[in-house]
Amino acid sequence: MSIPFPSEEWIKAYKDAINTNPAYKTAGADWTHGVVALVAKAKPPALPQDVGIWLDLAKGVCYDAKLVTVEEAAKAPFCITGEYDRWKQVIRKELDPIKGMMQGKLKLKGDLPTIVRAVKASQELVNSAGMVDTAFMDE
Amino acid sequence: MKGNWNRIVGIDLGSGKTHDISLPEAVWRDLIGGSGVGAWLFMQHTAPKTDPLAPENPLMILAGPIVGTTLAGSSRFAVCARSPLTGIWGEGTCGGNFGPMLKSCGVDGLYITGRAASPVYLFVEDGKVSIRDAADLWGKDTYETGDMLAKRHDEKRARVICIGPAGENLIKYANINNDKGDVIGRTGMGAVMGSKKVKAVVVLGTQKVQVADQAAYDAIRKDVLEKIKNSVPADSLHSMGTDASMDLGMMTGDIPIRNWSVGEDFDLSAALGGPTMTEKFLVKPAACLYCTIACKRVMKVADGPFAMEEGPGPEYETCCSLGTGLHNKNAESVLKANELANKLGMDTITLGSTLAFAMDCFEKGIINEKDTGGVRLRFGEVDGVFKMMEMIARRDGFGDVLAEGSRAAAARIGKGASDLAVHVKGLELPYHDPHGWHGMGLAYMMSTRGACHLQHLVHPIEQGMVFWDGVGLKENYDGQKSEGKGVLVRIAEDLGVPCNAMVLCNFVAWTLYPPDFPAILKAVTGFDYDIQSYLGCGARIWLLKRGLSNLMGVTSRDDVLPPKILAPYKEGAAAGSVPDQDVLRKEYYKARGIEADGKPSKAALDAAGGLDEMAKRLYG
Repeated sequence: MSIPFPSEEWIKAYKDAINTNPAYKTAGADWTHGVVALVAKAKPPALPQDVGIWLDLAKGVCYDAKLVTVEEAAKAPFCITGEYDRWKQVIRKELDPIKGMMQGKLKLKGDLPTIVRAVKASQELVNSAGMVDTAFMDE
Repeated sequence: MKGNWNRIVGIDLGSGKTHDISLPEAVWRDLIGGSGVGAWLFMQHTAPKTDPLAPENPLMILAGPIVGTTLAGSSRFAVCARSPLTGIWGEGTCGGNFGPMLKSCGVDGLYITGRAASPVYLFVEDGKVSIRDAADLWGKDTYETGDMLAKRHDEKRARVICIGPAGENLIKYANINNDKGDVIGRTGMGAVMGSKKVKAVVVLGTQKVQVADQAAYDAIRKDVLEKIKNSVPADSLHSMGTDASMDLGMMTGDIPIRNWSVGEDFDLSAALGGPTMTEKFLVKPAACLYCTIACKRVMKVADGPFAMEEGPGPEYETCCSLGTGLHNKNAESVLKANELANKLGMDTITLGSTLAFAMDCFEKGIINEKDTGGVRLRFGEVDGVFKMMEMIARRDGFGDVLAEGSRAAAARIGKGASDLAVHVKGLELPYHDPHGWHGMGLAYMMSTRGACHLQHLVHPIEQGMVFWDGVGLKENYDGQKSEGKGVLVRIAEDLGVPCNAMVLCNFVAWTLYPPDFPAILKAVTGFDYDIQSYLGCGARIWLLKRGLSNLMGVTSRDDVLPPKILAPYKEGAAAGSVPDQDVLRKEYYKARGIEADGKPSKAALDAAGGLDEMAKRLYG
């Protein structure tokens, strides 16, 4: 059964997907730069308010994943913010997140060289999201 | 008309006389400036098949209307002539601070013909040109020459362009150096300068360029700065330089490796990519005049065999040409080789590509150490690179063969070597790989100066670094599809060619939107440009340059990709992907209005307007 994005249940499934993706384990092996937070902007009624997804990543493993407030998400060393529809495109692999950041469709807060160096790991995080059977509540 | 002075100084080195050239206002309006005006001047005054190294081939050093204003990205200038490397229309542009000072002299450019009896340099002071003896400078490298001339005239204000030993020795890809790290690199303009026995040009001026609509200009200038501030590509260029794209490029199949033979090697991007180069060698970023992106790198190698004093670091293209292309993972050696190329005065793209070609020949047994004078040319080994660079710059032994570029060297070597030379119309490919990006392959096929990545905006559009709606472009392009790229490339040329003519930096252009380009030109010149007339200028300039190259011998048989690009990689993001050059050419010819023989159609020339003379030359 499809899981609504971005619910607690979806985030748990996302964490499992990351940790069972061998390609992420390899690509993210050098990641020691801390938490990556994703912020989805509100799109009522599918998403009534802005929410953050907290991903505690280190050395190819996702140790914790949880729903947080936008204020909490902003404290992460890396925070990527986008409209609900943009995240939908990312999960469906219709929008490459690096292209999205270059075109200003996704906003990055954090050290750009670190993200560039970890581009392969970023791609596997997106691939992992694609492995979750996701429901979008505006459809 | 504002922005331009409408004064180009003609200099005849044979007689030592100078004269002023002014152009009809419509020429400035329709062709904008820079290489657009250069192409028009060439058509008016020069037989197309003039020997590129003959006194009659004019060396044109030209600014554009926005040069000399305070707009970010406006500090560039162009140099044009028939190319000794390709035999067709040649040109290059360069940043730094020479362009604005040239405009401060009250001139838009210099039109240099003839040949001096002995080495000279030109001193342009507030519009007055004097030809001075350069006997003491001849033989010196570009760093020393620039320093000596700046000190001689005004250490703080004088701006210098010069050639190194490569230009003096007519190396076909000799460049022209400005401020050590900025170069007119492509198509061998340094050799044309050397053929005229001109070692350098020094400019020193005090005049201020006037804009037509100050309020509009001020608003645009502020808007450009704001857009740069909010641009992720600009942030990326600032923090990691142009080499920022190597790590991403390795993911997308954009990085040429080992003379375009290998599709992927993440060890190379980890060793040579922007984050690593920044961490290991960056002293500070540096900027062209008035630019807030500051993509240039000041770097240093503290010690070891490739120790380098603080100075200009390599750009992305050089990290590839002297790095990935040679399968060289030694980053320190890339910095040092870049410095040596700058000092000797050679285009690092053609240099690296020609060396990679020679290594391929060497490893395949087509040439051996007897041919190379004992120099071992093997991928991943840097000793031979440094030895051969010196030999090329002095035309010593096998260096004399490689000094002609890969196409001519392959013809001389024979034994199937031509299949290993990676060029279009004699100009070696820049380091964005058409296996991963078919649109870029088409842009290389159709560029008016041979394989070029700068005179159009295909790179940011096809790779999705920008999304520009309202001009006929799609939001997303699949890099590994050839269908649909003909229209993309035509639009990207029509957008980019006028940027090149005004002369606006591509990286600043990436942060803007299409309507910004005509708005900038309108505010500066007073001509009533809108997006349609702006795109029309792009088409007109492209057709004019193409027509010149047709008159120099280019036909549809030259609009092809080299064999290496038509062979698929086994590995990497572009594995199995090969541009379909027939589809690409067919679509493009239709979109641009090119006849089967490769000439612009009469209808396309008529529709562009202002090209009657070219139509007459091509069709009688």
